[in-house]
Amino acid sequence: MSQKVLEVKNLTKKFGKFTAVNNISFDIKEGEILGLLGPNGAGKTTTIHMLLDVMDPTNGSISYFGKPLKGNRSEILKKLNFSSAYISLPWLFTVEEVLNVFANLYEVPNKQTRIKRLLSEFEIEHLRKKSIHMLSAGEMARLLLTKAFINYPKIILLDEPTASLDPDIAVKIREFLRRQQKEYKVSMLFTSHNMSEVEEMCDNIVFLNKGKIIAKDKPENLSKQIPESEVEFITINILKAKKFLESQKISFVQNKNTFRINIKTKDISTFITSMTNEKIEYEDISINKPNLEDYFLKMSQRSKV
Amino acid sequence: MNLKRVMAMVQRYFYNVKHSYDRLTDMFYWPLMDLLIWGLTGLYFAKLSGDSQHLTTVLLTGIIFWIVTWRAQYEITTNLLSEMWDRNLVNIFASPLTVYEWITAVTIFGGLKMIISLLFSAGIAFILYQYAFFQFGWWLFPIVVSLVITGWAAGFVVAAIIIRFGMKVQTIAWAGAYLIAPFSALYYPISVLPDWAQKIALIFPSSYIFEAMRQHIFTNHISIEKIIISFAINLVFLVLSISLFVYSFNKSKQSGIIN
Repeated sequence: MSQKVLEVKNLTKKFGKFTAVNNISFDIKEGEILGLLGPNGAGKTTTIHMLLDVMDPTNGSISYFGKPLKGNRSEILKKLNFSSAYISLPWLFTVEEVLNVFANLYEVPNKQTRIKRLLSEFEIEHLRKKSIHMLSAGEMARLLLTKAFINYPKIILLDEPTASLDPDIAVKIREFLRRQQKEYKVSMLFTSHNMSEVEEMCDNIVFLNKGKIIAKDKPENLSKQIPESEVEFITINILKAKKFLESQKISFVQNKNTFRINIKTKDISTFITSMTNEKIEYEDISINKPNLEDYFLKMSQRSKV
Repeated sequence: MNLKRVMAMVQRYFYNVKHSYDRLTDMFYWPLMDLLIWGLTGLYFAKLSGDSQHLTTVLLTGIIFWIVTWRAQYEITTNLLSEMWDRNLVNIFASPLTVYEWITAVTIFGGLKMIISLLFSAGIAFILYQYAFFQFGWWLFPIVVSLVITGWAAGFVVAAIIIRFGMKVQTIAWAGAYLIAPFSALYYPISVLPDWAQKIALIFPSSYIFEAMRQHIFTNHISIEKIIISFAINLVFLVLSISLFVYSFNKSKQSGIIN
């Protein structure tokens, strides 16, 4: 069994009377990618800041590699790094200067080779002499990732790492992250608002809402928690279809000859059989099974109630 | 304490100077302007009073040695502010760098810049007014060290306030050292201050140093006692100011101001 790289126990952060993170516990194993999801204000960034030791928890403990973060800070942070779409870098520096400073801060051996390799990996080698403030949002995101991988991290915290990237570059970044996971067993904590990316990347997901963990499972299991699927069909028997849906007390959205309904996934076959029995012909039918995005939307809506 | 990380931060602040004309201006422009304005004012008053030597020397000594304290304070606070302006605090403090390593880095880097500013100012004063910077002989060493420590102590108090309350109080980075300037008696003896201000002046180590320097200018002797007192107070101030900064840093980690 893989060893735990990060273990969070009963972590709580209070700001006065407001509880931003409420008694959460989770762990990340070696080579695991854990998604940390939740609507805005759920406590994701606060959690990440505590994991990076730039914010003190009110209660609870954080351990990396079996050692508590408090008391082993420098030793642990040497093997840890992060990238966040919400953090900047000294804007007058050149790319090369920034990476040199961070390579020295993390005491990276053979730093020039490492910098060259990563710049090439993220396809920003040509920006070496360019000032940070001249970089586009996508180039900046890639530089932040370069900085994040500079110290051969054993665990990396990625807060929206592919935000502002073109789709083709985002694909390459995801491939790179997967390679790091497989070849070097790098563990990752991953947040993103791109749910298909989270589904693709993450082995497990922790869903935060109002500071609490409301779900902890594999992405596919979370999707299964949504009982309903969306069925869309195009028919020439518009009146018949309408009458049928009303008789079955199924709410629907109609656009000319297209109907869209939400129905329990287990009832889909019965529904289609009934339509056939009623001689409602359909030209096209599509069934959209619930995915992580649906789960996210449902949970986010629930949090607003 | 890891020296490699300390030097990485020194390198980071060196790049700041390399890319920022503001920082170069701070090192050369303001000292030059002070020397021109106050030096010429000194010359004019010296002619009026018939004391051509001492008055100008007292003013120039005050200017040049105040640069030491001012720069020592200024470097600590502006380097902290530059991290805040660049939104780089999380990057550096999520690295293995400790707060004590950061403190060491800013004091080393500030010290280097202060030496450059000091030598530049002394050179300009010599060219313009034939001012002999080395007239204090070996006493220069304890004088400069004492004033640097005063500047560092002021710097860490100001930095403690900035890291605790954020950029809304950043103006004190520039004004900080000037709060102690009137009580440091740069250009005048403590005795000209009102009674209440004289009592306050006694708690500032810089006042003993400037008194000792004037004594040297007028009598060619220096009070070892005053130098020792300044070092003793400085030691207490430095320990207290660093403790206050570390306390504020930890407090800001609780409140989440480091972002």
